[in-house]
Formats: sequence, C-alpha cells, structure tokens
Amino acid sequence: MYGWIWRHLPGNVYVRALISLVLVVGVVFLLFQYVFPWAEPLMPFNDVTVDGAAGRATGIAATVAGGTA
Amino acid sequence: MALRVVVRSLSELCITVGILIVLFVVHLLYWTGLRADSAADDEIARLQKQWSSGPVGGGPDDGEPGGTGAGPDGTPQHGRPQAEGGTGAPGRSTAGTGYRSGSSFAVMYIPRFGRGWSRPVLENTRATTLRKGLGHYSRTAGLGQRGNFAVAGHRRTYGDPFKDFPTLRPGDRVYVTDGDTWYTYTLTRRPYRTLPSDTGVLDSVPAPVNKAATPFDRPGRYLTLTTCDPEWGSSHRLIAWARLDATRPASEGKPDALQD
Repeated sequence: MYGWIWRHLPGNVYVRALISLVLVVGVVFLLFQYVFPWAEPLMPFNDVTVDGAAGRATGIAATVAGGTA
Repeated sequence: MALRVVVRSLSELCITVGILIVLFVVHLLYWTGLRADSAADDEIARLQKQWSSGPVGGGPDDGEPGGTGAGPDGTPQHGRPQAEGGTGAPGRSTAGTGYRSGSSFAVMYIPRFGRGWSRPVLENTRATTLRKGLGHYSRTAGLGQRGNFAVAGHRRTYGDPFKDFPTLRPGDRVYVTDGDTWYTYTLTRRPYRTLPSDTGVLDSVPAPVNKAATPFDRPGRYLTLTTCDPEWGSSHRLIAWARLDATRPASEGKPDALQD
C-alpha cells in the first residue's frame, strides 16, 4: 500500500517526501478532528452521569441526564 | 510472488493499525486535555468579561438586573442560608432554572483538587458540553436554589477535571460563583460509589439506592457532584454531596480560602 502510493507520487525523491509529509499531516488532522471525537464516546471511560436505562438505550447518554467520564 | 504481496500487505496493515491505536491514545491522554483546558479557560474568561461588564442576567431567579440575591423570591439571602421555608418560594419546581443550554453560567473551585483548580459549569450534560467543563444536570435545581444543584464531570480525558474525586473528604469546601454571589458548599461524607442507574442521587433530597448512604434527611440547598468509577471505566459512578453553608456577594471578593 505505502509502496504503491510512493510509486504513484509525482516528482523526484524530495518532492515525493514533501507530498508524503503533507499527506501524513492531513490524515492525522482528519483523525484528530473528526474520527477520534466520533469514536471516543463509544469507549467506556466516558460516562460520568447517572442516567439509568435511558442513557444506555441511546448508546451515549442523551436524555434525562446524558453524559460522559 | 503472490505470497510476498500478501505478507507485505498484512504487515503494512498491522503497522497502520498500531499507529492508529497510538494516535488514539495520544488523542485521549494529551489532545483532549489540551482542548478542554483551552475551552475551559475561554469559558471562564468569557464569564468574567460578562460579569465585569454589567449586571448578571439570566440567573435562575433574578430576571431583573440588580436583584442581587436579596429578593424574596427564592434567591438565598447573603450570609447564612435561611432555615427551611425561609426564602424558598413554596412549590417552586426544581426544573426550569433558566440557564442557556450548552452555555457556562458559573465557575467552580475545589481547593482539594489543587490551589488553582477551577472549572466552568455549563448547562446540560451532553458529551459535547462536558468537553468544555462541568455539566449541570438540567432537570436539577439551579445554583444556590432550594433543592439539589447537580453537576457531572469527566474523571479522565478532557482535562481530567475530577481525577482526584476519591480524595474528597467530609468538610471539604466547594466554592461556586455565578458572578453575583459566592456559594460555599461543604461536603458531608466521603464519595459514595454506586451504579449508573442510581438516579435517586440527583433528587432534591438525595435518595440513593443504598439507604445507609442517604446524606440528608430534610429539604435544603444541596450540591451533588458525579463522575465515573473506576477511573477509566464506566461500570460505576462516584457521588459527592455537599450542603450550602454560606453565601457572600461577589462584590466582597473571593472567599478567604481562595485568596492568593
């Protein structure tokens, strides 16, 4: 996969390295900005409220007393 | 040849997954803390600007500016809180505090968590709200009102606001200000460990499942703090209760214990 990407990048070694760096930074940004905040409430250390069945039914607490850890 | 491709692809996949996990841990341990700290600072700065620029509006009871808490309509008198039935309007619902959902309306200080420990209190307990600070359970009483002012906070991640929750002890003070009044709450017992379904802990007279843990036997002005337990788990909750001990006008400055 990484070899395939490298072969399909244009330019000489330096240009390719630079583009790779930009790609890596972009992917990390997308992860931190969108993917991880989405995945994080699915983890167990994120329920701090007492909410009874309502919260658990919706996955992440939302109703009477939704919440986090 | 084909085998080489399979092995290489598998290895790359494993490395990618490993990097993803490491990045996720960095995100949780480090990044959420940075974001939460800056969000909390922003909220506190915004509140202080708002408080210094004019009379506080939008509080639970004082719709009219200048109603500095001495009104007969449920805001506590400064000084010692009144005895039962003193200032509380009879039949006042504990809901409908008038706080704007998702907005901060107060700042909490808990010296037990460290001298500089302060966090904004925001309305509602949604996940997005708790990323910025502590969340007030919308259906519970407002700050300083009769009933139970209940607040949830993260134990871990997002700045670890309630990391040291188990170190709370009876007699510990919790100071909360809404820019108008300083409220001093005093903890009555060690944190109580319970199940997430134990919603009675938020009642205006808290009624935990474990009757032996019942902190108060009559209506009053109470504070409830909740967080998760164990630190990284969600199987249980830790609850701390406090009662309102004293109030003082914000114009008289910080409580002595918070002076630098």
